[in-house]
Amino acid sequence: MVQGITGKIIQDHADGRKEGAYLSVKVDFILLHDPTFALILPELKASGEEIWDRTKVLLTVDHFAPPSSTERANMVKEVLSFAVGKKLPHLSIYQGICHQLLVEGPWLKPGQLILGADSHTVTGGALGCLATGLGSTDILYSLITGKTWLRPPEVVRINFRGNLPPYLMGKDIILDLLGRYGEGGFLYQAMEFFDTDEAISMDDRFAICNMVVEGGAKNGLFMPDRVTEEFLIERDNGLNSSFQRFDEELTYSKKIEMDLSQLKPKIALPHSPAKVVDVEEVDGEPIDTIFIGSCTGGRLRDIEVVSTLLKGRKIAQGVNLLVCPASQKIYLQAIEKDYLTTLIEAGGVVLNPSCGPCGGIDKGILAKDERCLSTSNRNFQGRMGDPSSKVFLSSPLTAAASALTGRIVDPREVM
Amino acid sequence: MALPEIISGQVWTLGPHVNTDLLHPPSHFTPDEKKMREGIEEGILRLGGKVKKEGPEVGWIIVAGENFGCGSSRETSARGLLAFGVKGVVAYSFARIFMRSLINLGIPVFECREIQEHVRNGEMIRILMREGWIETQDSKRFSFSEMDLHFKKILEVGGLLHYLRRERHGL
Repeated sequence: MVQGITGKIIQDHADGRKEGAYLSVKVDFILLHDPTFALILPELKASGEEIWDRTKVLLTVDHFAPPSSTERANMVKEVLSFAVGKKLPHLSIYQGICHQLLVEGPWLKPGQLILGADSHTVTGGALGCLATGLGSTDILYSLITGKTWLRPPEVVRINFRGNLPPYLMGKDIILDLLGRYGEGGFLYQAMEFFDTDEAISMDDRFAICNMVVEGGAKNGLFMPDRVTEEFLIERDNGLNSSFQRFDEELTYSKKIEMDLSQLKPKIALPHSPAKVVDVEEVDGEPIDTIFIGSCTGGRLRDIEVVSTLLKGRKIAQGVNLLVCPASQKIYLQAIEKDYLTTLIEAGGVVLNPSCGPCGGIDKGILAKDERCLSTSNRNFQGRMGDPSSKVFLSSPLTAAASALTGRIVDPREVM
Repeated sequence: MALPEIISGQVWTLGPHVNTDLLHPPSHFTPDEKKMREGIEEGILRLGGKVKKEGPEVGWIIVAGENFGCGSSRETSARGLLAFGVKGVVAYSFARIFMRSLINLGIPVFECREIQEHVRNGEMIRILMREGWIETQDSKRFSFSEMDLHFKKILEVGGLLHYLRRERHGL
């Protein structure tokens, strides 16, 4: 018997073919971005095949956005010339990070099966769908057939209870889970979150689902509830806001209970997202660069809390504060609400929406021995720059608090 | 290119939780096969440089720890290993995207939880498909978990693109 909502979604999408433990399933939507699509573009062209349904594909240029080398510029050019030639209806150039654009658009709904050519596609699970990342060749298969092969996974249910205190964010919750269960703690499994008291905002839910892959999970999803419904109504201007409910009895392999009110701010130490301690345990550690951005920590709520904390204050001298909104829409909202003025006046620098520093792509690559506190999802050695650089991962609140002194600080000390 | 009965190669050992950012640094992302291989060479340096950059003619068999290939889905890591001459990968466990990418490119993967302590970099080992075990240079044998039928079918035809071609055109 399949487990959880994930198992039910796989079952609902199965076309009847089975090989070993794998089922052939229909795909509702596919997310592509410049580098991982560039890898399979020659193979797609050579195959003579067409994309099964162009209306169900979002192609973004978000990694090399805009490109910082001629090799990258040529990759982007190839990708764009294909997309324009094929008249792909959903093409997004330099508009922000693909995982944010995917949830801002009108495509994702609870109960769907979503694939992306990027491991952080799991972010979309916050909307109650099965969203998972795959390598480029797997995605090529799906682009041509509209299908993929999935194995119904074991599913872990995580029950959140209580309210989220003002010094905590979704990032603290997922870091706590990663710290307790480890980098391979949820290998091959799905994680399903039940926010019993509807205490976690959608932006925080995106941050939580975004990092389930750091625990090895296939996908993570939030049981659709009132927060989901309100998000969908606002996103789609009240149109077609009805969605699939999951009222039946669901089976799980394991349950984890979490009391949100008891949690402390968390931080991941170099070089693993699962090497997690309480922020207070590393209080005073010096930091050179603070990065607020990425598909984990560059949303409006993230920028809002940083701006609220830094309003009327200055960041420590010698500290670089880089702020990168996750999309142009967020960028505009942050301008409108004056958050960016506050951040610039505090001493920050605003980068254009893109993946940027998170993958060491451009704008803010770390130097030898440089120490960075980042709101992104991965602090693997060398990912953000020189192999000797060190990256800590925290919530945007902890990052903002630390920008004031250039040392890691528990946000409760400055709020 | 069908799945061979016996895969032999020189061992390249890796520890637990080796992520794709280490194996193939993101700064080395490229669609160019030759440069992809250079990315793996940089990865080898970052991982402590325990194997020679020039691969043996027989090819490599990686023996890794838990959660091998975690992190980014960038297929340049798996494609880079193919270009570097990796013929098979044995691990305590695999990160799912990476495992699928290896299989999709026609590189067989084997889950084995005992062999890690018993092999050294550079020794020759053999994977015997029919028998279901891996034989080390000093003839110790370690069984691996049975491969899923779906993966076997992909590997038997040489990778997912060949599988797709067969599915669509019966070729």
